[in-house]
Amino acid sequence: MKINSNNIDEKALIANLINGDEKAFELVVSNYHNLMISVARAIVGEAFADEVVQDAWISAIKALSNFEGRSSLKTWLLHIVSNGAKSRVRRENRMISLDDGWQSISSDHFDNTGHRLDDVVAWEEATPEALLANEQLQAAIEETFQKLPPLQRAALTMYDMEGLKMEEVCNILDISASNARVLLHRARTGLHQCIDKFQDN
Amino acid sequence: MIQCKDLTEEASDYLDGDLPLRKRIGLFFHLLICRCCRNYLQQIRSTIKTVKVLQPKEKQTIDTHALAQKLHSLTCKHD
Repeated sequence: MKINSNNIDEKALIANLINGDEKAFELVVSNYHNLMISVARAIVGEAFADEVVQDAWISAIKALSNFEGRSSLKTWLLHIVSNGAKSRVRRENRMISLDDGWQSISSDHFDNTGHRLDDVVAWEEATPEALLANEQLQAAIEETFQKLPPLQRAALTMYDMEGLKMEEVCNILDISASNARVLLHRARTGLHQCIDKFQDN
Repeated sequence: MIQCKDLTEEASDYLDGDLPLRKRIGLFFHLLICRCCRNYLQQIRSTIKTVKVLQPKEKQTIDTHALAQKLHSLTCKHD
């Protein structure tokens, strides 16, 4: 079950949490924990992410009665985890490095004027439903996703999957818009290459 | 003059509408004459849609059910 982001549902959900409804806890954790882990890993790294997220959950639950609904519950939770993660890393130690081993499409594909040498043909099956009917491809996309650097995963998860605004993604990850754009493009390119390989087979 | 390489590098920003008008128009005209780049852009679009449908997840390292219970017990104590 996916939470509808509309306010009425969230108000009811928050009331249920405050009232100690066990199902409401299962629901928020299953809906938002993955996203919070993604943000924490992007900022603080794998080793401390679980701890940072657990602390964020505890602070959030304690502060629930103060939640005013000015943002969605999702962005509120993400800001709590982001602040927790940022205070965990000593500022001077956090350098956003875009040098993550990413390789652009090889320049062999272009001539010296930047024109493509190879022919790009349309995918035979291009709809998500048709592509995902192939279970091997599904598994390959999941594996490729998990191997992306954490900042790329977080940018992609928030922007492409969760539909957050770019400005929000930048605030949460504490990165510039141009860096966020680079991360997003790299993540998409990595996943595109994964799907494209299956088209060749 | 826009080339295929530029389109490849700017594909995301083009799709997200995050480019200055001049650049956008340049890419648009390149797309009109270049079938390869039209196909490439379409593939990136399909990639984004597919990932959105699949919603790949982070590797889970903790038991989320136990976490939900822990948080639940926290509100009981809080009351």
